[in-house]
Amino acid sequence: MGIQEQYRSEAAGLLSSGAVKLVIGFGEGSTVERRRPVFVRTPAETERLVLDGGCVANLSTYLLTEGLLSDGKSVAVFLKPDGIRSINILAAEAQLNPEQVVIFGFDIEEGQVRALEGRKASDFAPVIGVAKAAGLSAELQKEAELLDQISAAERFEYWKDQFSKCIKCYACRQVCPMCYCRRCIVDVNQPQWVNTSSHTLGNFEWNIVRAFHLAGRCVACGGCDRSCPVNIPLRLINHRMAKEVLDAFDYYAGECAEQKPVLATFRQDDPETFIL
Amino acid sequence: MTRILPKNRLDDCIAAWRSAGFSVLAPVRRSDLSRFEEVERSEDMALDLVLTERTIKDHFFPQTEPLIKYSIKKHDIDTQEMVPPERKRVFFGVRPCDASGLAIDDPLFGWDYRDEYWFKRRDNAVIVTIACTTSDDFCMCSSVNLSPDSTKGSDVMLRPLQNGSGWQVEALSDRGNALLGPISSILKEGSDATASTASVPVRFDVDKVMAWLADPASFESHFWKEISVRCIGCGSCTFLCPTCHCFDIQDEGDTYTGIRRKNWDSCSFPMFTMHTSGHNPRNTQSTRWRQRIMHKFNYYRGKFGVNSCSGCGRCTRQCPVDMGITETLQAITNLTK
Amino acid sequence: MSEPFEPKIVAFVCTYCTYAGADLAGTSRMKYASNVRIVRLPCTGRISPMFILKALQKGADAVLVSGCHPGDCHFAQGNYHARRRWTVFRALLSFTGIPEQRIRFSWISAAEGAKFTELINNLTEDIRKLGPFEQYHELQTVIETQATY
Repeated sequence: MGIQEQYRSEAAGLLSSGAVKLVIGFGEGSTVERRRPVFVRTPAETERLVLDGGCVANLSTYLLTEGLLSDGKSVAVFLKPDGIRSINILAAEAQLNPEQVVIFGFDIEEGQVRALEGRKASDFAPVIGVAKAAGLSAELQKEAELLDQISAAERFEYWKDQFSKCIKCYACRQVCPMCYCRRCIVDVNQPQWVNTSSHTLGNFEWNIVRAFHLAGRCVACGGCDRSCPVNIPLRLINHRMAKEVLDAFDYYAGECAEQKPVLATFRQDDPETFIL
Repeated sequence: MTRILPKNRLDDCIAAWRSAGFSVLAPVRRSDLSRFEEVERSEDMALDLVLTERTIKDHFFPQTEPLIKYSIKKHDIDTQEMVPPERKRVFFGVRPCDASGLAIDDPLFGWDYRDEYWFKRRDNAVIVTIACTTSDDFCMCSSVNLSPDSTKGSDVMLRPLQNGSGWQVEALSDRGNALLGPISSILKEGSDATASTASVPVRFDVDKVMAWLADPASFESHFWKEISVRCIGCGSCTFLCPTCHCFDIQDEGDTYTGIRRKNWDSCSFPMFTMHTSGHNPRNTQSTRWRQRIMHKFNYYRGKFGVNSCSGCGRCTRQCPVDMGITETLQAITNLTK
Repeated sequence: MSEPFEPKIVAFVCTYCTYAGADLAGTSRMKYASNVRIVRLPCTGRISPMFILKALQKGADAVLVSGCHPGDCHFAQGNYHARRRWTVFRALLSFTGIPEQRIRFSWISAAEGAKFTELINNLTEDIRKLGPFEQYHELQTVIETQATY
């Protein structure tokens, strides 16, 4: 039995026993290659669940849908290691109770799906440990380094060009499990910190603010990068932030539910090379 | 015999229009994004694209636009109106769906108040459309009573020749005729066959959809909740739509000086209908998605006699969660079977 | 443009240490460049990154953030939190092309009037050499002019 069939039948079992009220997984999309989030509430519907190399989205975003977990019932969700890290962060930030989340863990290697052992977020600590040991994406690091090597003025021009494309559709924010604020800073107008208009300055400010708010929280699921309709390489900024917290504070986001948010804690001997 | 624009004379064509005072805008792929930009040479044009990622709407109704500058001094308020420059522009290589989008929005911007920001640009623009010979999985013009060679909103229609050497030219309006003046020596007579247009399957029954939406019982249907459950509430479908036209007026500045701007807004955002009291009449994503569909295929038709959709399919093509108008309208079509 | 360039520098300082340090510089009749505009806040922990963005938006050529030395915070921990925040924010700004020379951080105690004077004078000289932050100011100028389309 393949992992897809195995998870389908386990999902059906959880639903029929009432252990979970909902399964959030992947289903067929509008084209052969596309996969889309599906919401399964009955055992029969589990036939719609698909699990293959195209299932890359981080579905943990949906767990914070208003009211979904407030009845104390459990929800099952298909997650890759990045998504499981998101659950840990959301738990650490008191946004959900990890006991209410049943995880169908999987990973994709060279297009092939592999099942991950465990059902609770805490079961996956070894998997996340392996991910941390493997380090941040070497591919992204290479891309980001290219930018680090050019002068600040050239970098500014690069990002100006990229951010000038932004239309403030906020797909990056909406798709992100970490962007759960009921009222985003850009929607606050008393005082208005950043320009809400989508001119290049406003776009610059918005993207800086979002990147900062994700520092030490982003799990590099790539959701924002994929969903950006104007193809801004958001992955690079987020990677640069992840690298900064790793290098400076040995912090890897989402290791466990007890991990304190990186910017809500400190050590007395934190590095401060830049302070005069 | 018809008039032919040979492909190898495109550069002369651009030069002729430019010396006649036009800026020429065409599909361009730059910085990993395809959109309409000013071009000087034909080699910069990306005419092979099925569709640019951004619509030409951007050039008539920009995402942010200054309306007035204000400054407040003791008992005085100075305002200085900012109006778009009068600039003659040719949009070359527009797709029929994008051209139709402009025509669909015209009545809206001229309805109770004539929006100068829109019409100053519209009146000075000539739309040169190229009929589609290719399409993708998301194109749906044929489902909304348009087609890969519909002429709605176009001033000049170009139909690709079968041998790929150029386009058959047809002027559709006075503006289109006038545009052919400067290039009359470039056009030649010919009887080459035109390539067959793309075949875009009909994906839903728009008449059934409209009938269902018009039924008052549909408004509270459980359908809306089911269909929109995975919608994450971003605005990319509205902002990439060639007909979506909602905007917000914002004052940007401080107590003394600033700029009043017209910015795109989206019915997908909770803030769109949020009242000062905190009450939000559309407080769930399903009601917001319902509004979007209802507006396009029910209310807009009621007011202006056309559906506010030109079938470009961008809403589905780039949706982060693979939603879009097509799927919803297919589902409605199936409901009424 | 015959006027010589005078940098605009915004300094966000905590009231307990750096502001008192600046005060000491004043009462001791030490002279420092008048290019700096001081904004007094309760603690470096209160200084949001938003402040820096706002300062740049409003035309600052450089921003200084300054507070109590580690261990001296009036609120015990505020500057430790701030230090982490600035480590990250500074990296972010640098990555997006906002030069590190324009965003400075320092610890200045209430007794360090001389250090404050020296820092401000040096910073002003540095920025004077660097010139105005044209790249960022240009973004503001663009939005104040009519769109070209």
